Amino acid sequence: MADLLPKLLSFPPHPPPAKPLSDQAYDEGIREQIDVVGKLTESKLLQQTSGGEHALDVINPSLNSIPYAYILLANISAMRKANSKGVDFETLWDKMIGFLVSFDPRQIRYIGEEFSAIVDAVAGLAASNRQSYLAVAPIATALTRLDPTGSMLTTHHLTLVKLALESRNFAAATQVLDKFILYVPGVPTVTKPKFICDMNLSPVTFITDKSKLTGKFKYVDVLEYFLYSGMIYMGMRDWDKALQCLESAITYPAKENNVSKVMVDAYKKWVLVGLLLEGKLLPLPKSTSSGAAKCYHVMAKPYETIAQIFESGTASRLKSEAEFGVHIWRGDLNYGLMLHVLSAFQKFQIRGLANIYSKISIPEIVSQTTSAETGNKLPTPQAAELLIQNMITSGELHATMSTSATGPSILTFSPKGQVLTESQMQRELAGSTERILALTKEIKQTDRLLTHDKEYIKFVQKQKKHVKQGGSGDQGIGVENMDWNDAIEDEDIMGTMY
Amino acid sequence: MASSQGAPLSPTATRSRKPLVVTEQPKFDLESYIANYTGRTRLERLLLIGHCSSVVGVDALKLAVKDAKLGKDITRYLDAQTPLETLAPGEREATRDLAWMDKTKALNLAEISRLESEVKGYKNNLIKESTRIGNEDLGKHFQAIGDLPRAFEAYSRMRADAQTGKHIIEISRHLIEVGVEQRNWIAVTSNVQKIKGVMDSKDPDKSLQPFLCAAEGLASLDGGEYYNAALQFLQTDSGMGTSCNTIISPNDIAVYGGLCALATMERNDLNKRVLENSNFRTYLELEPHIRRAIGFFVNSRYSQCLTVLESYRADYLLDIHLSKHVDDLYYMVRSKSIVQYFIPFSCVTLDSLNEAFAAPGKTIDKELAMMIKNQELEARIDTQNRLLTSVPLAPRASLQASTLQTAKEYEREARRRIQHMNIHGADLEIKGKKNANQLPGVDEFYDAGIGGRELRSGRNVAF
Repeated sequence: MADLLPKLLSFPPHPPPAKPLSDQAYDEGIREQIDVVGKLTESKLLQQTSGGEHALDVINPSLNSIPYAYILLANISAMRKANSKGVDFETLWDKMIGFLVSFDPRQIRYIGEEFSAIVDAVAGLAASNRQSYLAVAPIATALTRLDPTGSMLTTHHLTLVKLALESRNFAAATQVLDKFILYVPGVPTVTKPKFICDMNLSPVTFITDKSKLTGKFKYVDVLEYFLYSGMIYMGMRDWDKALQCLESAITYPAKENNVSKVMVDAYKKWVLVGLLLEGKLLPLPKSTSSGAAKCYHVMAKPYETIAQIFESGTASRLKSEAEFGVHIWRGDLNYGLMLHVLSAFQKFQIRGLANIYSKISIPEIVSQTTSAETGNKLPTPQAAELLIQNMITSGELHATMSTSATGPSILTFSPKGQVLTESQMQRELAGSTERILALTKEIKQTDRLLTHDKEYIKFVQKQKKHVKQGGSGDQGIGVENMDWNDAIEDEDIMGTMY
Repeated sequence: MASSQGAPLSPTATRSRKPLVVTEQPKFDLESYIANYTGRTRLERLLLIGHCSSVVGVDALKLAVKDAKLGKDITRYLDAQTPLETLAPGEREATRDLAWMDKTKALNLAEISRLESEVKGYKNNLIKESTRIGNEDLGKHFQAIGDLPRAFEAYSRMRADAQTGKHIIEISRHLIEVGVEQRNWIAVTSNVQKIKGVMDSKDPDKSLQPFLCAAEGLASLDGGEYYNAALQFLQTDSGMGTSCNTIISPNDIAVYGGLCALATMERNDLNKRVLENSNFRTYLELEPHIRRAIGFFVNSRYSQCLTVLESYRADYLLDIHLSKHVDDLYYMVRSKSIVQYFIPFSCVTLDSLNEAFAAPGKTIDKELAMMIKNQELEARIDTQNRLLTSVPLAPRASLQASTLQTAKEYEREARRRIQHMNIHGADLEIKGKKNANQLPGVDEFYDAGIGGRELRSGRNVAF
């Protein structure tokens, strides 16, 4: 092993040269090293150093990610074969986790296959030991390190949400889920980047199924990711974010009137989450396809009915409707969410009072609101007090409650509009501006992807030709195997028709 | 949103209207009130009063019986006579005149067949003018005996033989009359439009403008579009006289127009469009209390305005066109008054509001809560100190909040669009099985970007 070490550590140069390597030099160096390391046999990689130390203890994963990854993989496969030469499980696990949270994001781009293998190994080992929750945080960190923008979906994202859901370790996954997915693998890259080590590259260009940093996707996988991440936020009671994730699923583009069952499931949850968030049936997002919208209204009728009752019905009607449909909610695995909806009903009523009253006594609140969990008014003023106290503490209600020894407690609603201070507002506005500017960049990027698409360029060319020939120039395109002259004739027929 | 099935009906829709009973003495004198009208609307009005008023009901029904026996409508006669049997069995009009009924029935049938055969004859001989008049007679007869659908049909048939603009106006006038009685407001408005289409001849009929305004106003009133109704009635030229008394009297124009305006217009508009409107003034003079009520409102004496209106409630409940809308209109005037009353204050005690608006012994709390809930009143109630406080305006905060909201929505929408484009680009959208044989990738691209593919494939099938 000792003789191997200099080879393994040959790149990147250490200590780093005063003048950083150019992208080209970096690219060449690293490819050469991968070539060398890749040719080594497993047994060589498993050798210990002359000092009897384990190779994984000698190499720093954040500096020499590439040899480290190879050695790690060799150890993993050795362990799978129950090969005595490998290290014990505990150490190996620590090393794997250590690698995921400290690898060099620049080097890792060159060894997509190995990266994916390590992530899968971590996920697989954790799952087989029934300790999935341990794998969530490292994988989430690894994904964030790989792509700090987080806008690119990978197959590892799906692994992550599945692990998180299974182990109910929601919080650890949010650093990945908080990022909005803009890209999915498979977008035809316009220009091959010269050197994938360029740190300014958009994730679209280096995370591809060719680079093996992600696997291939089917549409169901993408939908599942959105649905599962929505469910994770639901588990955390973060209704706003859950709504966003579910919206990504229900607006998923579809050809003609096709709808996936996952989308319908997402819609059902979306209706309920919308109730918890806004207290009403939200209008479908603009970009929902019309075929899907029709399908939702038919398939999720019971849910929409619940929403309408929630909006304008009484607590007892809501309760009986929820009880009547109990097999539906159970069948769709939405029963827990429905219980949340029921308990939220009275809270919305109380919050609604803030729009009418500025000051009101607790007994008056008791008489004006009803709980949908029991279908009755609250039994005692004390119960109402407790409920309101909880609402105020959790920030659901902007109000203060004052108790007096003689009379009933009094609730004073805070005036609206002063939720944020001036400086907070400044920050919010600045943050929003920044995000929109960043978004503008993404729009340009997408625009570029579209306008530089091979097919699009062909289309524009043909169109230009068409204009030259005096045609109307609207759509002489589309079918590759169609003769150009046919297309023109086609056009003329339409011309006379209109 | 598909909400037709199983949707909770709105609270107003489920409320069934109780049969209206008015126990107060109306202010009008029955004889002189009904003298304002001629034709079938007389009977209709008398019947409504007879069925609803416990005070003048019997008199109204007696008048109705007399009236009905002068005409040919047996159903109407029975409508008037049957309740009298129980209400006032001693009266002469209470006994059913079977002889008259039989006679009229026979006469009516004979008249129908006579008129129908006449029309047939004219038609066979292709005498256009006579066919038209024959149909008109037939329509009039059907109208007189109360067979409104057939009357409508007969009048509509006149159109085939109409030759001049005047004919068309005549036809439409007939149809409007029938339409008003049938409460078929769609027919009424469409016929008003038809008359307007041919009306612009050189010698316009002076009586036509008020008629059209009244018809359209009634249609809007019945549809609950009080503001439009007010505009129509206010536009009515002066000098209606008795020209429209088959459907409406000049007094009605004043009442309907005044009430609708009071319910829907702002103070300045009321002053300019109602009180200073020289055309409408001639009508308002017929109903001085409406003028007084509007005057009180404009001068911010709300409780007096409401008192005046309240004292005429019984009258309006007994009006065929107004009775359904009195409550709504009064509610609107009332809530408007409360809003206006509150405007100059930032804080008002509930007791002073009770004093100004609530009936003695009642409180206004519930009503205020409803109004705030419906966002008619920008205020909050303090039940502990019994105060109504205005909501402090925070334009800066609300602008900032709405800016943030807009930015957030933009962000979300833009991100979602990018996401969709990229999903399309990656050829990952959901596809049906039948598209399996199409060129992948290419088609999706055109679908997403240009939208030409579908047209094209459709075309290939067609040609």
